Amino acid sequence: MPSGKTRQKRALPPWVQYELLQQVPFNVAIIDRDYNIIEANDNFTEYFGKWRGKKCYQVYKKLDRPCDRCNSGLTFEDGQARVSDEVGVDQHGRQAHYVVHIAPLKKNPDGPVDYVVEMSRDVTETKSWQQEYQILFDRVPCYITVIDNDFRIVRANEAFRERFGDVRGERCYEIYKRRKKKCPRCPAAKTFKDGKVHKSDQVGVSKTGARTNYIVTTSPLARGSEKIAHVIEISTDITETKKLEEEIIEAERLAAVGQTVAGLAHSIKNILMGLEGGKYIVSLGLQKEDKEVIGQGWEILERNFEKTTTLVKDFLSFAKGRLPQAKMVNPNDLVMEIINLYKVVAKKSGIDLRAELDPKVKKAPLDPDGIHTCLTNLVSNAIDACQMSEKKKCFVTIRTKDERDVLSFEVTDSGGGMDYEIKKKIFTTFFTTKGGQGTGLGLLTTRKIVQEHGGKIIVRTKEGEGARFKMEFPRKRLLALYGKEKHNTA
Amino acid sequence: MEKKVLIVDDEPDVLTYLTTILKHNGYTPLSAHTAQLGMEMVERKKPDLILIDIMMPKESGISLYTRLKEDRRFKDIPIVIISGVAQAGEFNFRDFVSDKSIPPPEKYIEKPIRVEEFVRIIDELTGGSSSARSKAGSNAKR
Repeated sequence: MPSGKTRQKRALPPWVQYELLQQVPFNVAIIDRDYNIIEANDNFTEYFGKWRGKKCYQVYKKLDRPCDRCNSGLTFEDGQARVSDEVGVDQHGRQAHYVVHIAPLKKNPDGPVDYVVEMSRDVTETKSWQQEYQILFDRVPCYITVIDNDFRIVRANEAFRERFGDVRGERCYEIYKRRKKKCPRCPAAKTFKDGKVHKSDQVGVSKTGARTNYIVTTSPLARGSEKIAHVIEISTDITETKKLEEEIIEAERLAAVGQTVAGLAHSIKNILMGLEGGKYIVSLGLQKEDKEVIGQGWEILERNFEKTTTLVKDFLSFAKGRLPQAKMVNPNDLVMEIINLYKVVAKKSGIDLRAELDPKVKKAPLDPDGIHTCLTNLVSNAIDACQMSEKKKCFVTIRTKDERDVLSFEVTDSGGGMDYEIKKKIFTTFFTTKGGQGTGLGLLTTRKIVQEHGGKIIVRTKEGEGARFKMEFPRKRLLALYGKEKHNTA
Repeated sequence: MEKKVLIVDDEPDVLTYLTTILKHNGYTPLSAHTAQLGMEMVERKKPDLILIDIMMPKESGISLYTRLKEDRRFKDIPIVIISGVAQAGEFNFRDFVSDKSIPPPEKYIEKPIRVEEFVRIIDELTGGSSSARSKAGSNAKR
């Protein structure tokens, strides 16, 4: 506090004193020891209404006696300035929250407090925001905790408290997972380290041992460049969603089994039709004692027995699955083999079959037989698509690429393309657009081999505009496969 | 005069089989292994009945069926869909053609066929072949 002397020296002209009182961004009132308001600024008047001849408690809180805990009273007694949160009523009768700064005014620095100046500011809006945030914090359907860098829970929202009780001071991993040590892949630890938001799937364990799936997001709780002392951990229970997902996958799997069985039945029906036909014709030939007719029927029988064998073999090789036998091979050489295999067929049908090989393609650990099967399936499909389209001139191109550690083979044709309905079905068992000529297993087998190599197959097509099938193999995964293969053969 | 029955199926064995049955039962069978050839055959030979398979390369049997039913010249020729896609009782034509202006086929026969039933349906739809009545059905039993 400046001394009385200094105050004397710095005495401002009365109009400045008046303006100062008016310009302060507070509701300012000066009260005497009997709580009478003896002066106030315009802000105060605007906020609380008429005050002249009234006591402060009448104006602030519309009370007819002093407040139970009166901070100004305390300042009159001990001469200390103080700040307090108050709830009062504004001139329209609305409840208002404000912060009050109280300072003693003394004529004589060593004497008693003559007046008290009360400087208040409305924080109702801030308060209501705070309340809204609190509600938000408490009611969001996620578990929110603030943890310190020892992973101890400092604060938790209502949803968390309802589920886990008041466990402040305990470590998050003890509560979520009944663990004694920090979780592996802990996103909070990462956030403490790099100050960034991290996300991770975690599986919690309840008291009864039940598993809960969570998505956990952690964010730093620090201002500016401060060291991160706390992290907000938000865990969303996705057990139900996970369960639904699994149910959908199971339903799809069952549907796929159903489709497989239906497809198999369809293929068998076609073969049966052939066998019946052969039998009918043989029996007719026997009746007529016509060797030629018998021979014709017999041929049909033989052909359909052969078809049965092919179907069973294809089906078994599809169903069996084997680990790819990886060898270091040049992918471009594999493509050239296919070009040589199909060039005559393509030429006959007036299809321009060519290879566009990336010279940068390096050797890769692939199962040459498997990739051969894939390329054969894709190229023969592409040629069929060209033959089936109305277009006079068609091309089929096989491209290789080796970029960003991904090796890819791409088979593009300018045939009829596929509409959405067909595209949806191409990877389903026994689906064929080739009538009796296809088993409907080609693309499915191709996808299977690609997946066994750790890769994926992507289809782009538009009806009338051809199709592009791209097989992508991340080299990292191919190497892992090669390692496994070496290990197995060692 | 013998009734002409056109069979459109991409399977040569099916064509041989059905052709043999039809011939044996006094019909004049015509065959086509694509929808395109089937259409040409209809235009040239004006068959009394058409049998169409559903799953065929290039153009499906459903597409050929729709084209025939939309053609004033041919819409009255009875058509039998003959396929393995659905069981006889479960074939729903509207799963394939939602356009209500296209009427459903006269019959659906499931593959593999039963010869006697097949012949009976053909007789019904064509009013019987000239020689069918005297032959009293097929002699070659399944």
